[in-house]
Amino acid sequence: MDFVSENLLTLLILLPVVGAVGLIAHQMFWKQEEHLKWVTLAITVVVFLLSLLLLGEGGTKAGGFSFVKNVPWIEAINTNYHVGVDGLSLWLVILTTFIMPIAIISTWHAVEKRPLAFYAFLLLLQSAMIGVFVSLDLLVFYLFFEASLVPMFFLIGIWGGANRIYAAVKFFIFTAVGSLLMLVAIIALYFMHQQATGVGTFDFVTLLGSIESGTLAFSASTGLLLFIAFALAFSIKVPLFPFHTWLPDAHTEAPTAGSVILAAVLLKMGTYGLMRFNFPLFPEAARELAPIFIILAIIGIIYGALVAMVQPDVKRLVAYSSVAHMGFVILGMFSFTEWGMQGALYQMLNHGISTGALFLLVGFIYERRHTREISEFGGLANVMPLYATFFVITAMSSIGLPFLNGFVGEFMIMIGMWKSSILAVTATANWNYIATMAAGTGVIFAAVYLLWMIQRVFFGKVTNEKNRGLVDLSPREIGLMIPLLFLMVFMGVYPRPFLDRSRDAVVAIQERVVKQAGGTVEVVETFEKE
Amino acid sequence: MQLSDPNVNLAIILPEIIIAITGVVVMLYDCFFPKNRGITGTMSLIGIAAAAISIALIWPGGSVPASAWGGMIVHDSLRLSFSVVFLLVAALTILVSTVWIEREDVPGGEYHALLLFATFGMLLMSSGNDLVVIFLGLETLSIATYVMAGLRKSDLKSNESAMKYFILGSLASAFLLYGMALVYGATGTMNITEIAAKVSDPNFPALLLVGAAMLVVGFGFKVAAAPFHVWTPDVYEGAPSPITGFMAAGPKAAAFASFLRIFVIGFPVVGGLEAAGYLNYSWTTALAVMAIATMTVGNVAAIMQNNVKRMLAYSSIAHAGYALVGFVGAGVAASQSNRDAAIAAVAFYMLSYAVANIGSFAIITLLGQKNDRRTEFEDFNGIGFKSPVLSFTLSLFMLSLLGLPLTAGFIGKVLVFRPALEANNPLLTVMVVAAVINTAISAYYYLRMIVVMFFKERATDWVEPRIPSALAAVILVTVIGTFYFGIFGNRVIERFSQQPIAEAVSQR
Repeated sequence: MDFVSENLLTLLILLPVVGAVGLIAHQMFWKQEEHLKWVTLAITVVVFLLSLLLLGEGGTKAGGFSFVKNVPWIEAINTNYHVGVDGLSLWLVILTTFIMPIAIISTWHAVEKRPLAFYAFLLLLQSAMIGVFVSLDLLVFYLFFEASLVPMFFLIGIWGGANRIYAAVKFFIFTAVGSLLMLVAIIALYFMHQQATGVGTFDFVTLLGSIESGTLAFSASTGLLLFIAFALAFSIKVPLFPFHTWLPDAHTEAPTAGSVILAAVLLKMGTYGLMRFNFPLFPEAARELAPIFIILAIIGIIYGALVAMVQPDVKRLVAYSSVAHMGFVILGMFSFTEWGMQGALYQMLNHGISTGALFLLVGFIYERRHTREISEFGGLANVMPLYATFFVITAMSSIGLPFLNGFVGEFMIMIGMWKSSILAVTATANWNYIATMAAGTGVIFAAVYLLWMIQRVFFGKVTNEKNRGLVDLSPREIGLMIPLLFLMVFMGVYPRPFLDRSRDAVVAIQERVVKQAGGTVEVVETFEKE
Repeated sequence: MQLSDPNVNLAIILPEIIIAITGVVVMLYDCFFPKNRGITGTMSLIGIAAAAISIALIWPGGSVPASAWGGMIVHDSLRLSFSVVFLLVAALTILVSTVWIEREDVPGGEYHALLLFATFGMLLMSSGNDLVVIFLGLETLSIATYVMAGLRKSDLKSNESAMKYFILGSLASAFLLYGMALVYGATGTMNITEIAAKVSDPNFPALLLVGAAMLVVGFGFKVAAAPFHVWTPDVYEGAPSPITGFMAAGPKAAAFASFLRIFVIGFPVVGGLEAAGYLNYSWTTALAVMAIATMTVGNVAAIMQNNVKRMLAYSSIAHAGYALVGFVGAGVAASQSNRDAAIAAVAFYMLSYAVANIGSFAIITLLGQKNDRRTEFEDFNGIGFKSPVLSFTLSLFMLSLLGLPLTAGFIGKVLVFRPALEANNPLLTVMVVAAVINTAISAYYYLRMIVVMFFKERATDWVEPRIPSALAAVILVTVIGTFYFGIFGNRVIERFSQQPIAEAVSQR
């Protein structure tokens, strides 16, 4: 057991890769295609159970990382395989491992084309995603960040819809452009550290220590440039308006499992990266640019909602709703208050669960009808009552109905923004109220586009004869949704276990950003832990 | 001029000797036993293996002096690391071409002899510390390569390729020779170590500058850097695929080896803007601009290609640009150890490029069929799952050329960007940013290869070719190399940047 807990993160990263190799070997010797999904499911379940061990210590060390592993990788450039979790990454890792088995089950009957490659790519993707959340060496982080692109590229390109090639290439190039500039910034940091201390390093903890202690200092303009290089990579991934255009294409064309993972985990890499790297490393730049990010986030919230409203395709509608939701996350983060940042982290998890569930539900109906056009449906509640119930609950969670998870996150973000003084121009003129209200309209719009879509799809009489014979959800599909629905309710009424774990890490980042505020950002009252 | 002890040392040129003798033996054998031609490939491989062993033996130094033959030959990390690249390229090329020799009835003996002579030339180019030796190596290499490009006698494209290569290559050689003469005139010596000592106070500073400029033009041709790259696409497309792979990986690396030695070691940074300081400043600036142009031209033109070989030709231009980034970094390096690290980075870059590139050409040779008929992008449509081994490995090589993490290409890129950023010089930083943007551009055409193989549907029938064992060996070696250099590149870099310990004998 010692071995497991000492190498837990490494195991989590390696198990899926080993599993993928095992799948290929299995296929070579037995040629039993129907075994593949079972093997994959078994691997992902084992990974999920293992990841629960992280709850033991993860996030409990104030200001530190647990399950740390730090071994040299390429000594010539002083880069180490350095991994660890804290309150910020803990839930994201578990979200990843949790969503994977669900994504696998969702594809149970859907993948007829090349199942071996499909499951192998899913497993490789999982490794890369976990790697992103636990890396504490910038070069290793970059490595996983890029490595996650390739499996997704194949997933969209091979198993996607009609326009898949365009979507896959666009997805890859958008993300690669951003992350390459981040690579330059990473190497630049290495040299700045070398010039300041004599030893170049990619190690995040070391770099942070040097910056905090003032050993490594850079001019305001350098800080801004570095911040922008990092932020660009992450903003594209989030995606923040105006870098969002790859998202609707990728989401719409991806197979259901791909969309679920894309929404639940891949987008979080962007917001996670901003919080993990941008804020602590470049706090001054973060404060200086916060108004721009807040404005873009608000534009994203409103624009995403408005565009979602007019989508004729359900999946595209959900995709645009992601743009709006991720806008909220950005808004909360850049409020630099504990409420806002905790809310942002919470909203990341919520979005993963709710939007992931929405994509699953869209997948269910697509498997039955092979269309996602809203106009093709109508009155589905009459033929598929259970499906309609699940859909409405999930939509409510996405809208942010009280007692469901979405409410908690959005509410915290808005309180955070309301309390924030990051937008204060003078002592009396603070734009925070305006920003909060503008973001609040996004909640209303969310209700409009989702409810309107639900009305057109589910209520009224059955207008299309093809829908009359549809069968309601199968036990597999119900079983898939139950854990998600449970979490929506649980996280809506009892968020404390989640927030308690992430609190120390988030507050540390928040204080880091606010501490040198020079009085422009007051430390707002802390969220009582009791 | 007094006569000095030429310091004859055979051990120091053991790899060159072995390769040259093997070449002669193969040629003679082919003359006298024309019936047993099949064996020449094996003979060449044995020779290359012996040369590799001899390098491994002399690598640590100790038994070999740092330089011998009157200072004409040096034994340093630059020479050793590049020699590894050359021998690997030569061995892989021989294995790749077995398919092609069989299929198109190429005179195997002649071909192998030529390849060995070319390898000899490359080795000499990296170990030569004298302008004359470098020129000798270069000509031995070039003449052998001209012939190899035209080996497919009946094919018009191959002839055109050889002819173009010959005429433009000779022009480049003329530039080089003229440049060497001018440098000699300015410094009074052909020895690079002595030139380095003399550049701070040359006899004729202007002459030195003009000579250096001529050398830039000549080497620019040889490494296919913009604006001297225009011959590349035609030559690479027309030459038989295995030769194209060889030309892009071997001779290009050899040109880089000499280019590095003459410029980085011969024209180092010396304080002040006068003479050498100015010379160093001029050539690093010129090369930085050339690097930006080369990467951009290569990548943008590669996007528009519909032929895979032509695409890879432009990609090889782009890669010369990336290597130049590290080159310029080496040129402005502040200390000797930084300089060695930067040179090692360029050598590692050429190694990582060679592995991915020869691997790609191995697969293209197999899929291209006779006379490389099937090398358009559409010929690769939808073969992904019909031939998963070939398609996935080709995809891996594309991703390595793109520079994706976990592959050799990524470590190579990080290594060459590093010295350029280390210099903390605005132009060099711009160069790195340009390199990064170019990498993003290149994603488009490397991904296109994956897109056509996996995402497109195939309209016509396609039968998976049998993979011959020689080719399987190449694919295995290159795939392992791509991952090994990408994950455990550390060990290679350490080796490459460490200077061998010289024998305790006074140099020269």
